[in-house]
Amino acid sequence: MNVVVLVKQIPDPEALVAIGGDGVSLDIEQKFAMNLFDEFAIEEALRIKAKHAGKVKVITLGSRKAIEALRTGIAMGADEAVLLEDEAFLAGDGYATALVLSRAIAKEPFDIILCGRQAIDDDRGEVGPMVAQFLGLPHVGGILKLDVADGRAVAEVAVEGGKETVEVQLPALFTAQKGLNEPRVPLITGVMRAMKAQIARATAADLGLATAQAGRPGSKVKVVQYSPPKKKPAVQIIPGAPREAAIEAVRILMDVERVL
Amino acid sequence: MDKILVFVEAKGDGPRKVSLELLSEGLKLVGSGQFSMEAVFLGKLPGTVKGKILHYTEKLIHVTDPALENYTAEGYAMALAGYARETGAKMILAGATQRARDFLPRVAVLLQTGIASDVTGANWDSNPMTFIRPMYGGRVLAEVSFSAYPAIVTARPNSFGVGASLAQKGEFAEFQAGISPGQVKTSVIKREETTLGKVDLTEADLIVAGGRGLKAAENFRLIEELARTIGATVGATRAVVDAKWRDQADQVGKSGKTVSPKLYMGAGISGAIHHIMGMDTAKVVLAINNDPHAIIFNYANYGIVGDLFEVLPAMTEELRNRLGK
Ligand SMILES: Cc1cc2nc3c(=O)[nH]c(=O)nc-3n(C[C@H](O)[C@H](O)[C@H](O)COP(=O)(O)OP(=O)(O)OC[C@H]3O[C@@H](n4cnc5c(N)ncnc54)[C@H](O)[C@@H]3O)c2cc1C
Ligand SMILES: Nc1ncnc2c1ncn2[C@@H]1O[C@H](COP(=O)(O)O)[C@@H](O)[C@H]1O
Repeated sequence: MNVVVLVKQIPDPEALVAIGGDGVSLDIEQKFAMNLFDEFAIEEALRIKAKHAGKVKVITLGSRKAIEALRTGIAMGADEAVLLEDEAFLAGDGYATALVLSRAIAKEPFDIILCGRQAIDDDRGEVGPMVAQFLGLPHVGGILKLDVADGRAVAEVAVEGGKETVEVQLPALFTAQKGLNEPRVPLITGVMRAMKAQIARATAADLGLATAQAGRPGSKVKVVQYSPPKKKPAVQIIPGAPREAAIEAVRILMDVERVL
Repeated sequence: MDKILVFVEAKGDGPRKVSLELLSEGLKLVGSGQFSMEAVFLGKLPGTVKGKILHYTEKLIHVTDPALENYTAEGYAMALAGYARETGAKMILAGATQRARDFLPRVAVLLQTGIASDVTGANWDSNPMTFIRPMYGGRVLAEVSFSAYPAIVTARPNSFGVGASLAQKGEFAEFQAGISPGQVKTSVIKREETTLGKVDLTEADLIVAGGRGLKAAENFRLIEELARTIGATVGATRAVVDAKWRDQADQVGKSGKTVSPKLYMGAGISGAIHHIMGMDTAKVVLAINNDPHAIIFNYANYGIVGDLFEVLPAMTEELRNRLGK
């Protein structure tokens, strides 16, 4: 089984995000982490490898800093890592990003692609299904369980009000959801290996892509402007003993806010 | 005239509320005279659902195919992209439901266009139209526009209102998707229903959520009783989901669900940024916490500093009195 895992390096969820003076750029505190859902994807890939042998390759599209996410992947146990690094790749929408990733994946044969359900910086949740479509493959989104045997996979997904079990022919793509597994913490030997590991790189030219196809020029959806969210007014603390406060809260919700 | 397609989903014996929200927005655009709109429904269409949709659209297209019997992302994507291509649609609108967010990115690729996912607002009158997307868990709003068409947009439930229904019913037509056997490589082999009929968190108008301050799984009874009294859906923090007090499906936040109710009541929740990211588009937030410095108060409209074990039952009792239950 050859498993490809797409991982994204994102600003730490607690990093400060400010809107640039031009209104079209963001100033983000330089604190990074691997996207939370991608850790579940790597863990699942490693479990598949442990059961069925083969290799695990992690791929990321990003700037040089994104190497940290790849090294985390190797430290956890991935065999190979590829950094898709090109000015032309940056600031892409879901479509442009998925196009580049799908080209990179198609360079070598594979059986399974795993990625996260959603990258929690841009909050798009588009790349996985788009990569699958670019490659003409089936995908199952938001999996909670995955079993692989004989060229097929059986996956469980939470659907509204219940659970569905889906069978799919390989090769296929799966997006990982919280609940799939518990990602391992890298061992010190893994970390040592990751520090020394060679990271392969690929540019637009290496993938046979024109720069106009990738990044912002290749995007179908473009940011016109950023704005801050509306500020909530300061909290109104409802005074009094618990019982009085509870009664007053009900009055406010029913008679003032009219939400009940 | 530019054609707008609204992808409609059913829940129980009616269309989903978010589908009606988008049909209502669509009808407003139709009213402006520049657009025509069709509601599009894929797969099994019960008669009651059909009847209700027809009061919110001038035309309903039922896309049929044996491959649409069960939902699969591949089948739905081929069917909707096929119909959009056939009619030369300029825009596809859908609720940002689990299903729409799963297959519409594939439709975008098939039609070589982009998607604006999980938008919370739209500037229909600007040229080009722009859409508002919360990013970084709501800390920034991005206004986006399209440079390819059809524009595909998924909208967060409860972002738009449901308008009045039309006096007369719209037209109805069928469209055969013509998916050839073998094109869909996914099949559903089992479906287990656990909590059927409940309003899903993502679409709920009213949510009562609990955190670790509840102290034990069985104390969620206090949250449930309050929720039942007002017909709300129960939510939970990651801490209590990880402790197995509640199911993963109840988790609100970054690694759970994004909710946008009219009222969010949170008890025994500290207000960690990861939790806030999932609920900060709620219209009214009431927080109950015995720590006056709890961060959740920074994100609440109203707060009660007090012991939830006293406040929750008192609220339930008062609500029962006032609602006559
Ligand atoms: C990558 C990542 C993703 C995450 N995703 C999510 C997510 O999706 N959703 C989520 O919720 N969290 C998420 N978290 C976890 C989050 O950071 C917090 O740890 C979690 O939300 C805390 O849950 P809590 O508020 O229930 O518990 P606590 O932080 O322990 O807060 C309990 C609160 O209860 C109050 N309290 C105690 N007793 C009483 C009482 N008797 N009456 C009233 N109040 C009382 C306390 O004052 C306290 O404020 C994530 C974390 C990480 C690192
Ligand atoms: N730049 C990227 N490099 C590698 N993988 C990515 C990248 N962007 C998105 N992905 C993958 O696609 C998933 C969904 O991302 P998104 O559609 O941006 O929310 C992520 O969890 C990653 O697994």
